[in-house]
Amino acid sequence: MRILLVEDEAPLRETLAARLKREGYAVDTACDGEEAIFLGKEVPFDVAIIDLGLPKMTGLELIQKLRGMGQKYPILILTARSSWQDKVEGLKTGADDYLVKPFHVEELLARINALMRRATGWSKPQLECGPIELDTTAQTVAVSGNSVELTTYEYKVLEYLMLHAGELVSKADLTEHIYQQDFDRDSNVLEVFIGRLRRKLDPDTTLKPIETVRGRGYRFAIPRTN
Amino acid sequence: MRRALSLQTRLLWAASLALAAFLGATGYALDLAFKRSALQAMRDRMQSYVWAYLSGSDINVGGSLILPDIPPEPRFERPQSGLYAGVVGPGIEWRSASALGRQLPFDLRLEPGRTQFDGPIETNVGGVYRFAQGVAWEMTNGKEVQLTFFVAEHEAVLKRQITVYRRTLFAHLGTSALMLLLVQLLMLRWSLRPLRQVTSDLARVERGERDALPDRYPRELSPLTSSINDIIADEREQRLRYRNTLGDLAHSLKTPLAVIRGQLEQSGPDSATQRTIAEQVRRMDELVAYQLARAAASGHAPFAAPIEIEKHAEAIVSGLEKVYAGRGILCEFEIDPQARFYGETGDLLELLGNLLENAFKWAKGRVVLQATRIHPPGTRRPGLDLCVDDDGPGIPADKVDALLKRGVRGDERVQGHGIGLAIVQDIVRSYRGTLSVEPSPELGGARFHVRFEATR
Repeated sequence: MRILLVEDEAPLRETLAARLKREGYAVDTACDGEEAIFLGKEVPFDVAIIDLGLPKMTGLELIQKLRGMGQKYPILILTARSSWQDKVEGLKTGADDYLVKPFHVEELLARINALMRRATGWSKPQLECGPIELDTTAQTVAVSGNSVELTTYEYKVLEYLMLHAGELVSKADLTEHIYQQDFDRDSNVLEVFIGRLRRKLDPDTTLKPIETVRGRGYRFAIPRTN
Repeated sequence: MRRALSLQTRLLWAASLALAAFLGATGYALDLAFKRSALQAMRDRMQSYVWAYLSGSDINVGGSLILPDIPPEPRFERPQSGLYAGVVGPGIEWRSASALGRQLPFDLRLEPGRTQFDGPIETNVGGVYRFAQGVAWEMTNGKEVQLTFFVAEHEAVLKRQITVYRRTLFAHLGTSALMLLLVQLLMLRWSLRPLRQVTSDLARVERGERDALPDRYPRELSPLTSSINDIIADEREQRLRYRNTLGDLAHSLKTPLAVIRGQLEQSGPDSATQRTIAEQVRRMDELVAYQLARAAASGHAPFAAPIEIEKHAEAIVSGLEKVYAGRGILCEFEIDPQARFYGETGDLLELLGNLLENAFKWAKGRVVLQATRIHPPGTRRPGLDLCVDDDGPGIPADKVDALLKRGVRGDERVQGHGIGLAIVQDIVRSYRGTLSVEPSPELGGARFHVRFEATR
């Protein structure tokens, strides 16, 4: 999951970015609207966290510009002004949720999770595809009720695939949404992760949850249950 | 205290009294003058009759008086004509034909050359006016006889004249009085029109239909109206500046708080110090949020524009539907299209936002917002009745007081219906409204009921 974080207050931006990365998100930070627009053009994000009180260009203008550029990913606004006027304006401009400063990082993580889930059409925090169940809140995976231990990156790959269950996900998509920019995209690390996931989820190869579409990417093949 | 008389009534009363006094005095003077001149005319006429009789009379050798065959006026011959003549002297007693059977006051003896005019004298035929003249008549034998000539006229003639005159006079005076009053009324209305205009323009400003008083009043009023405009503009500007300052203050206070909190949460395992700091940061944050929202609520404003409810409620609900999309809550409106909130848009948004968000938070599936206009007859500015209902667990009656009290203090640990409710309470109080929490009659959850009465 790739997150755009736009916040002008350096300490807050850095603590948040560090925390998000520890949670397994790929994070790109910007300290003002112009930088954010530049990143927004280059990088396919899954969610954006935007502070409303930005220098040069206000958060609202930034949201407007991003939406104007055709970016559809969910946007969460951070605001110090807790007035409803600001909230309503932000939501009307195109934001999908708001959080009033100061906030608990856990709260932020929960909101981001929910936003991404909703953006891909899941209504509950538990993603169920046949026997495979992924809990986005607890970040756990179970197959037929038995929990499966996954590393953070394995979890993120599976989560991304399951969020887009039934859709074709290209390798480029996966690497861009899961890894930091400095990651070597040409390596076959992704294939290694997919192989490990297949073995962990489906040791006796009866479910075949992840399909390889030759030359194009992967698809989570088990249809959504809820 | 009794209200002072209106300017128009004062002016009208004063002018009417002056007019009445003036016209009354004029009428009296004219009446008196006419009466005098009528009497004078009568006397002159009678005098001329006496002279006519004198010049036409003679005394014969026998010493008896011979009066002219043809009287100076035919009425002297016609009985009951009201005009009588007579001559009295030693041994002489003459009456005109008209005086037959009438007892007339022909009993004076005047020195020659003297005249007397008096009346009305009561007789058996009513009041008469009398003119008498004493005459010395030289007989052929050289002796002198002293005679007194009389002419009397019934008062009816004079009375009739006066009555006719008075009728005409009063008709004219009355008509002109009415005309003058009418003109005066028109003048008053015309001169007072700018004042009425100010009042109605001010009412329009109060209702929010205009921003300021227009610049089109007479010279005498413009210092007043421009002062009013300055006050209105000042008040608005100050409120705006105040709100902006508060917003900036909020931003500059809260971002550091967010940084502290972020750092605390990031740095390693929880220690007692960390927990204390975190708790204090949370309290500071809540206090800042509450006090800022409280200060920003502008409260009852005499020049507040009326704000439509539906548009703002729609904006909030479409926002909340995004935020609570996962919950699948259905929010319905029952909004009277004439319902208006008289105040700041920010306050209305705060009110609706907090109440609706609470409802969304607690509802199982349904939220209803009702807005009704309160407009009893005789009120100048209608009131507003707002109800936000949900189908959640509701609030037991014995918890309501505690909930509302907790909201007011704002410095205590608040959960669920938190700072939002405290802000709602403050806004409601500053607009002199009431907030009550009841069970929702239809949905079964809680109903938050806000009411602003109409103002007279």
